[in-house]
Amino acid sequence: MARRYWNIHLEEMMEAGIHFGHGTRKWNPRMAPYISAKHKGIHITNLTRTARFLSEACDLVFDAASRGKQFLIVGTKNKAADLVARAAIRARCHYVNQKWLGGMLTNWSTTETRLHKFRDLRTEQKGGRLDSLPKRDAAILKRQLSRLQTYLGGIKYMTRVPDIVIVVDQQEEYTALRECITLGIPTICLIDTNCDPDLADISIPANDDAIASIRLILNKLVFAICEGRSSYIRNP
Amino acid sequence: MQDIEKMLNKKDRPVQASKCGGIAYIICILGIPGGLFFVREDKQCSQETELIFLSSPLSPKRSVTYTSPMATTASATRATLSSLSSLSLSLSLHSTPRLSFLSTAKLTRLPKLTLSTVLVRASESDKPNGIVFDDFNNPDEDAAVFDPPTPPEDYTPPPSFDELPMETEDEIAAAYEELYGPAYAGVSVLGNDVYVMDSKAKKTSAFGKTKKEKVKDGFEERVVQVRRVTKVVKGGKQLKFRAIVVVGDKKGQVGVGVAKAKEVIAAVQKSAVDARRNIVTVPMTKYLTFPHRSDGDFGAAKVMLRPASPGTGVIAGGAVRIVLEMAGVENALGKQLGSNNALNNARATVVAVQKMKQWREVSRERGIPMEELWK
Repeated sequence: MARRYWNIHLEEMMEAGIHFGHGTRKWNPRMAPYISAKHKGIHITNLTRTARFLSEACDLVFDAASRGKQFLIVGTKNKAADLVARAAIRARCHYVNQKWLGGMLTNWSTTETRLHKFRDLRTEQKGGRLDSLPKRDAAILKRQLSRLQTYLGGIKYMTRVPDIVIVVDQQEEYTALRECITLGIPTICLIDTNCDPDLADISIPANDDAIASIRLILNKLVFAICEGRSSYIRNP
Repeated sequence: MQDIEKMLNKKDRPVQASKCGGIAYIICILGIPGGLFFVREDKQCSQETELIFLSSPLSPKRSVTYTSPMATTASATRATLSSLSSLSLSLSLHSTPRLSFLSTAKLTRLPKLTLSTVLVRASESDKPNGIVFDDFNNPDEDAAVFDPPTPPEDYTPPPSFDELPMETEDEIAAAYEELYGPAYAGVSVLGNDVYVMDSKAKKTSAFGKTKKEKVKDGFEERVVQVRRVTKVVKGGKQLKFRAIVVVGDKKGQVGVGVAKAKEVIAAVQKSAVDARRNIVTVPMTKYLTFPHRSDGDFGAAKVMLRPASPGTGVIAGGAVRIVLEMAGVENALGKQLGSNNALNNARATVVAVQKMKQWREVSRERGIPMEELWK
């Protein structure tokens, strides 16, 4: 994996507030190597390590994208939901915005059934056949369609289990992370001071509460994916 | 109240016990200048605080859920902090009509008055205990340095994804379709066939059971045991079948699977799928036997495995024999010590087999040539 320049500056990371952790009482002692100091009851993460991990993650993502792998970004916090959607659309990746249904990856065959149903409902809607049904049936189908849209809207282009998964908050998306581990999918995770760094393959110690920090990290990763994709298109 | 007063005054801390309720005690006690109360670390002092809190008029008849780890913490400051916070929380959360005589003003005043003073003192006393983690990080100095490769010339940082103008849905759909094909979106912008995923879906045939052709991946299946199990519900007994299947190619890969279903065949198929999911390799020598003895246990089943000279065949009972045969082992001795349960014995042989190591691996790990090991 060649190391490339990803425009990661410690100053802009400090501005975004990536180095703030959670309160001192809630820490996970496995994070000790990544915490540099304690200030006013909050742990401060070591920014140099964060920068290194972030650049490694970007390299990995660039490599994978240049080989044509599929990505999935998982972020269900209501603060981050919008960001995740926009980032994934920009990078042309799959994403999970709303609640991550249990078994989405390990029970892929059932998820596929739901995706089929989603597609059928969409074709019916576009075909206009929903209006020709009685009002109650149409309402039921529309409700189903809206539910499927919220939960599966981001993965409707996913034909098979993704190759790399990016998780925004480890505490929130613990089930997602567990599923990826059982399936053996490499994961990149944003780790805060109360998370376990050994679960994900590449864990980036950062602040998962502030929108600015999530935005910055997603920015870098998305940029890396775009670059990788363009190089894949140029020479498959 | 009077006995509490006596208890406190014994410890040469002049305290005035007023009669307005439990909180007042606390205010009096904690308002002592110099913070004597906090810095003291002896157990008795902290135990006393527990006594005081619990014997306040709040607690006896209604149990205050007050769980603070007293008397074992490093410094009394932290103990009292946690106890205060927990107490104030518990008091505010469990406010009952009995507390009506204690107005909420007092409750809110308590944290502000005393916790702030405690915090000030805590921060002062924290300096000797202030944990600085950088001392642990000295071993990997290289990790502390971040030197990115130099950017190429005329490198402009790209705009963040938020600042880009919103693309229209059509554009997004087109871009996705280029990459992935029109997978499950109902509409196709680029004119591809919308139903492309149907051929990959499992079609349920219209009549009878689906005849799935056997998955040809070289694995043979053998059923160890099929049992009828029952779940008793209000309406009667619900019957199911539980099948234990061992799957293996005869070249050293085996797997044990269990599954239940309402029909025997369905259960067997499900358990074959499950068996394929956890496959284990058996280390074998040239004469199709084990490299050495081993025993494994799972639950109450203990299994002992022993290599044998060529021509012996597999001498083992029930489940163990089936597992070893499916692995391709020709000569081995096995004994089920412990329980006779088929599933657990099968799993125990798998455990035993996993514990075995090839001579080559051991010599490589230990750095000793194999001739030495054979002595």
